[in-house]
Formats: sequence, C-alpha cells, structure tokens
Amino acid sequence: MTDVELYHNDYENKWCPGCGNFGILEAMKDALAGLDIPPSKALIVSGIGQAGKTPHFLKCNFFHGLHGRALPVATGAKMANNDMTVLVNTGDGDCYGEGGNHFLAAVRRNVDITALVHNNKVYGLTKGQASPTSDMGMTTKVQGKGVILSPFDGPSVALSLGAGFVARGFAGRMDHLSGLIQAAIRYSGFALIDIFQPCVSFNRRNTWQSYNESVYELTEENHDPADLDAAFKLCRQGDEKIPIGIFYQKETVSFSDRIEVLREGPLVSRTFAPARVQNLLNTY
Amino acid sequence: MSIDITVTVGGAAGQGLQTVGDLLARVCHRAGLYLMAINDFESRIRGGNNFFQIRISDAPVNAPRQPVDLLVALDRRSIREHRPRLSDRGLIMADAGSSNKGEKGEMEGVFTLPIRDLAKEAGGAITANTVAAGACLAILGAPWDLVRETVEDFFSGKSRKVIDQNIAAAEKGHEAGRSVKFQGAFQWPDGRERKGRLLTGADAAALGALAADCRIAAFYPMSPATPILVSLASHIDRFPLVLEQAEDEIAAVNMTMGAAFAGVRAFTATSGGGFALMTEGLGLAGITETPIVIVNAQRPGPATGLPTRTGQADLPFCIHSPQDDSPRFILAPGTVEDVFNTMVRAFDLAWKYQAPAIVLVDQYLCDSMFIALGEMTVPESIPIYTITDADMPDPSAYQRYAFTESGISPMALPCAGQALVKVCGNEHRVDGHITEDATLRRRMVEKRQSKIPAMRGEMRPPSAHHPDAETLLVGWGSTIGPLREAVDMLRSDGMDAGCAHFTDLWPFPAEAAERVLKKAGRRIMVEGNATAQLGALIREQTGIVADGTVLKYDGRPFFPREIADAVLEQTR
Ligand SMILES: Cc1ncc(C[n+]2csc(CCOP(=O)(O)OP(=O)(O)O)c2C)c(N)n1
Ligand code: SF4
Repeated sequence: MTDVELYHNDYENKWCPGCGNFGILEAMKDALAGLDIPPSKALIVSGIGQAGKTPHFLKCNFFHGLHGRALPVATGAKMANNDMTVLVNTGDGDCYGEGGNHFLAAVRRNVDITALVHNNKVYGLTKGQASPTSDMGMTTKVQGKGVILSPFDGPSVALSLGAGFVARGFAGRMDHLSGLIQAAIRYSGFALIDIFQPCVSFNRRNTWQSYNESVYELTEENHDPADLDAAFKLCRQGDEKIPIGIFYQKETVSFSDRIEVLREGPLVSRTFAPARVQNLLNTY
Repeated sequence: MSIDITVTVGGAAGQGLQTVGDLLARVCHRAGLYLMAINDFESRIRGGNNFFQIRISDAPVNAPRQPVDLLVALDRRSIREHRPRLSDRGLIMADAGSSNKGEKGEMEGVFTLPIRDLAKEAGGAITANTVAAGACLAILGAPWDLVRETVEDFFSGKSRKVIDQNIAAAEKGHEAGRSVKFQGAFQWPDGRERKGRLLTGADAAALGALAADCRIAAFYPMSPATPILVSLASHIDRFPLVLEQAEDEIAAVNMTMGAAFAGVRAFTATSGGGFALMTEGLGLAGITETPIVIVNAQRPGPATGLPTRTGQADLPFCIHSPQDDSPRFILAPGTVEDVFNTMVRAFDLAWKYQAPAIVLVDQYLCDSMFIALGEMTVPESIPIYTITDADMPDPSAYQRYAFTESGISPMALPCAGQALVKVCGNEHRVDGHITEDATLRRRMVEKRQSKIPAMRGEMRPPSAHHPDAETLLVGWGSTIGPLREAVDMLRSDGMDAGCAHFTDLWPFPAEAAERVLKKAGRRIMVEGNATAQLGALIREQTGIVADGTVLKYDGRPFFPREIADAVLEQTR
C-alpha cells in the first residue's frame, strides 16, 4: 500500500474551515493509497468552483479547466492514454448545470473515469446562489423568495441513462467514502459518486447536523446493488433517511473497450507510420 | 489552353447529383485532363435546386467559370435557373420524362433523352444519375471504354450486381448521348496519364491531419466542416485514430485539449457558430499552453447564416476571440495542396510553441474538387516537443510553466514518469498551481506573449503573382485561384495587374506584408466579406490603406471574370 502521506501537498488550502470538501479530499487520498496508485499514476481533472480546486490540495497530475468542462477534458485524456487512472472533481453546478450536457454524454459514453460530484446544493465559489440540486424553497441572496425549480438528481438521471456505477457518499463518512471511491476506480466504465457535502458558509439547510442525523449506510442486508428499481427508489428517499453506498452496479463495456484501436494499447504510445499515409495519399 | 468547358449538372437534392459529379470528375482525371468543380447546394435533403459545376481543361484550372457550356438538367427548375448563364455554344440536355410542369417555351432548344426510362431498362430508376453521367460524357466526346473503366472503379466497393447495373446504365446513357451534336465536344486524350491528385479541400485536410500524426479528432457536425470528418472516418481502419462525435462544440474543443495534454496530437473542426462555442476553450488552450488545432471551415454568418455556402468573414473573430490576449496561429491555405501541408504545419507549430493553431478554410475550398499538382509532403518523422523524466535533473521538481528565455516551458506528459504535470486555467505559478500574485500574473502574461516574435518569425510572406505590377489585387485563403486567373485576364486586357496572397495571417507578418504591398501604385482588396477584413488588418499592422475593394458576401465563390470586371470598373 502507498503511504497516504505521499499525497500530501503543501500548497495552501483555500476552503473555509469546516467545509465538507476536506472529508472528500482525505477520502480521495485514502482511496488512492489503498489501491496503491501513486501520485504519478493518477490524473485528476476538475472544473471550476470550490470542488474544482481539489486537485491543487493533493499531489497528483492535474488539469484544472473550465467551468462545467471537466468531463470532456477527462474523456479526451483518457482517449489518448487509457492506461491512466482518471478522476474528476466537479461541483453540482459544474457537473449538472454548466456541464449538464457533458454529464449526460459521459454516462452514455461510459468512459472509464470516476466522477466525484461535490454536491453542496449551492454555488459555493460565487457566494451562495441556488444550484441545480438546491432544495425547492431554499432562499439565497438571489433567490430571495426561495428556489422555485425542482432539483436535479444526478444519480437518478445517470441510472435512467444506463449508468453502470452509481453511488452516493457523504463527506462526513470518510472511510465509507474512501471505500466507494476505491470501488468506483476499480469499476471499468463511468462511475458516478454524488457526494453530499455540507457548505458551512452558504447552505443553512443541508448541514452537518442534518446529514449526520439522517444518513445511513447501505449493506448487503438492506440493498441489492443489482436491483435497478431499488436503486431508483434510493435516489428518491426524502431528507429524513438518506442512504449512502453503491445504489447500482452492473458490468458494462467501457468506451475504450468498445473501440478496437484502443484495445491494442494507448494511442499515446503508438508509432507514426508515414509510409501508410503516403500510400493512402497515393490513392487520390 | 485549347479545351475549357464548363458543365453544370443541376437537380433537386436527393437526385444523386454528387454521383454524377464524382463520375464526371473521375473520368476526366483518369483521362489525364485537368479540372476543378464546385458544389452549390441548399441546406435541405430533398428538393430545391442544387448544382455541381465542373470546368474541364487541358491546362491547369483553379477557379470556376460562370458561363455554362453544357447543362445537364435533372429537373425542369435547373433549366430555368441556369439557362441565363448558357454560353454561345451552350447546350441543354434534360430528361424526356421530366414530370414537373414547366412554363410555356421552357423546353425550347432543350435536347431531351429518356434518362429515367433507360435507367429502368438498365436495372432500376436508382441508376438514373449514372445514365445521365454516361450521356453527358458521350456528349463531351469521352470514349466508352474510359467511361466503363471509371464506373467499374467507382462502384468497386459494391456488389457485382450493382457494378453491372451501373455499367449498363452508363452504357445506355452513353449510347443515347452519342447522337447529340455539341459544339464543345473535344478530342479526349488517348492515354490514361493522371495529372496530379483529385481531391477536395476536405479530403486534403483529413489527409493532412493524418500526415501530422493526428490520432484524435473530436467534433460536432456542422457544414461545411463535416466533410473533413467524413473523409477522415473513411480512413479510420488504417490508422491508430479515434474519431469522436462530441455532444457539442464545447465538448469537442475540451476533448481535443484533454487529448493533447495527455500527449496525443488532436484536432477539431467546425464552422463559425461552432467556433463561437469553442472560444472559451480556445482561451483555455491559450492560458494552459496546450497545443490544439482547430479547423474553422467558414460559412456566411452570423448565427446560422447560409449553412451550405461560402465566405471569408471570420478573420477578426479568430484573431481576437476570446476575452483578453493569448497567442495563437492563424493559417488560411489557398489550394488543396496547401490545405494538406498547412495541416501538417499547424500541428507542428502548435506543438512547437504550445499554442493553439487555427486553420481557416471555407465551404468553397472544402466542398470543391481540384487537381493537386503541387507537393503534398508527408513528414518522415514527427519532431518530439515533449520531455520525459530522463531529460530532467530532478523529475520531482518539474514545473510545467517554468520561465525560459523563449517563453516556451518544457512540456512533460501526465502519468508518463515521476514528474507531476499540473495544468490550470486560472492564472498560475510556475508549478501550475493557482496564483493571484500581481507580479506573477504580470510575468505569466509576459511569458506567453514573449513567444510571439518567434511565432511571427515562422509566418510566411504573402505570395505574389506579378509582384511588380502597378495594380495589386490583395486576398487571402481560398481565393488564390480566382485571384491569379483574374490577374491574367486583366493583363490580357492590357492592365499592369498582379496579386498578393496571404496564407499566414497571425501573428501577422507585418514587415513582409509591407515589403510586398508598398511597391504597388494601387492596392485592391479582394475578399469574401463585407468589410475587407484583411484590409483592416493590413492597415492596423502596417499603416497601408487599400485603394479599393472587391467584396463578395452573397455566399457564392469568386469567379475570375467578375473580379477582373470589378477591378476594371474601379480603375477606369
Ligand atoms: C463560464 C463561467 N460561468 C460562470 C463562472 C462563475 N462560477 C464559478 S464557480 C461557479 C459555480 C460553482 O458552483 P458548484 O459547481 O456547485 O461548485 P462549488 O463552488 O459549490 O463547489 C460559477 C457560476 C465561471 N467561472 N465560468
Ligand atoms: S463556500 Fe462552502 S463549499 Fe466553498 S469552501 Fe466554503 S464551505 Fe466549502
């Protein structure tokens, strides 16, 4: 096992004290160490927002791109080198709002990446406006009379699109979350973990306390992850009882494995064959 | 040039004009003739009026002509549309069974052949376009064995039955066509010595990408860029190549960036509207110094504009978008050879300077067929512009954005060794982490900008045809063929005319431009936009003000005669 300390980075952390993101960060380090993936073998792609800053706070290769666009960058990188372990850190606004179309496509494409959606149900970095996952009625400085849009639920959307790995985590259950991340990385295909993450600065509804009171872990006894209908139901349980764990898992053929040329090895390590181009040119 | 014939094949979308056109072009190519052909079509799948227009010659031709010598009308509307352009020796051939009701007198002087009936005899109405091609070629005087060989070749991927049906169809058309007297018919060369390569600009762009060792293309369909990807897709099994249709242009450009970041040469192709969606990504490539290539196949805009037509109106957009400054290359090839070679160069420059490269083409260049006589050079090897652990004294101390004299920081690849590669679209420190430090910000901007003089040094000067002429026509991109022919026309009209043609537009080669332009007594901008965009750029960069303009923004390509006439008008 790789030493967790190896992922430590002394770049100054910029999150608010008490933010749920710290739990996600520690779970990531723990999961990578547990799977023996050293920093040099992991690529983390992120979007914009508090979640998007995550890769700066651990040792890894990273591409910190644009708001909403982490998934396409990760897809391109994975196409180029499918030997890399690719994780994505993205916010609920980043992934389901600005990048919503990419989210839908990523599920359908089934690229072998692990998407960690830091779901704080609010726009953190831009100081507290509603996000696609905000509860109806939540008031903000902009949504003064409360949110009037119904919330977007990433896991049920992913399930409806045929996703093969859908889980929910909670930033306050570090060990459990680490387990989920390990399972997601091991999974061959697109793996979504929607992680409830308290934002102590801007979300007064979905708090540490409320989550701690209502979160419960799924076990073999209370849930069968092969049961799609049951998985849909888990997505829709109210705020009183919030299940965390793998909602659904099935074997799928990942994007890379669907493409013959990628089964022969990563594109990045192929050699250039000028004669083949010349021969083709000569057919014109 | 003793042969210079223009044949127009007109019909509705869905009538298989493309097949007729491809067959005509291939027969001419096989016979060792020269040709160029334009595709003029509406943005619809059925109906309307589309045409394919081929100019055939025994000398190189690189521009379309307006007068039509032979019109093959697959529907009545084509007769109405194109009759006004008929030349003195012009002939119209139409299907006798043409069912749509025409106006009185419409069929006057039209030679009819029972195309549809012949097709049915040959094996099915579907072969009507092959009958039409056979007839048209017979009218032009093409020998049957040449036509047969070409048809056999053209359908070679299909079943024997389909091949035989089409040969029968072509033969029936050819027999019928032989009875037609046409003043423009000519003696076809006996040999089979092909002159150059027959391809479209879209083919050339796809081949150029392969010659540049491109292994990933991510795109979202948009005319007129789509044919580039269709052409590329037809080669997919021969190369380590992944072609991915993205969910939108934003995804396409970001995928391209992810691929390049991970070490694979990648590009995307789109048109103005898609490019608009890509601009934030273009900025990301700028600040992260990620080498991507974007082909912008221009069409008239703004918004949806004229989806299937041509224009050259995205130059300032490509130079200035997105927000703030960041270095990029903009290259606008003029010919198909040039499109191929420019793709190779665009990838090379992008990787060498770690900056995005934009290749500006247009519908005219992408969809038209040309005979390429010039060199199309496949590089023997691809220079490696990235480094590995072995090149570093201490891989654990690698810094993606290290300050260097050239402004170019050594680029390593993620997960390729111990060196960690950290890339960030926020302003960053040398190690790739976010910074808001004022001094660092200033230095990073300066580092990126400091690449520009060397980038400008890579830019080629405008090419000139009769550079010492008193009157210089000035253009860029796909208009080189029409420009040069217009110059020849003006000179034979007695005018001391020449032209200067730009392909390398950004960083603008100001000194070279000035050298070429200042000699002339009069400079006339010839551009496919409404405001003389290159003229404005030249003025901005050199202070030289053009003396006149010939601008076309109706979505149609330039014809040499119309340029020459407009110049004569202005200089009279
Ligand atoms: C194109 C674009 N639009 C808007 C923004 C401003 N912006 C930055 S982060 C953000 C929302 C972030 O919310 P979320 O994804 O939920 O992440 P969080 O900060 O809550 O982790 C917005 C709107 C931006 N950076 N880029
Ligand atoms: S604003 Fe909220 S999400 Fe952002 S760091 Fe602070 S607590 Fe965390």
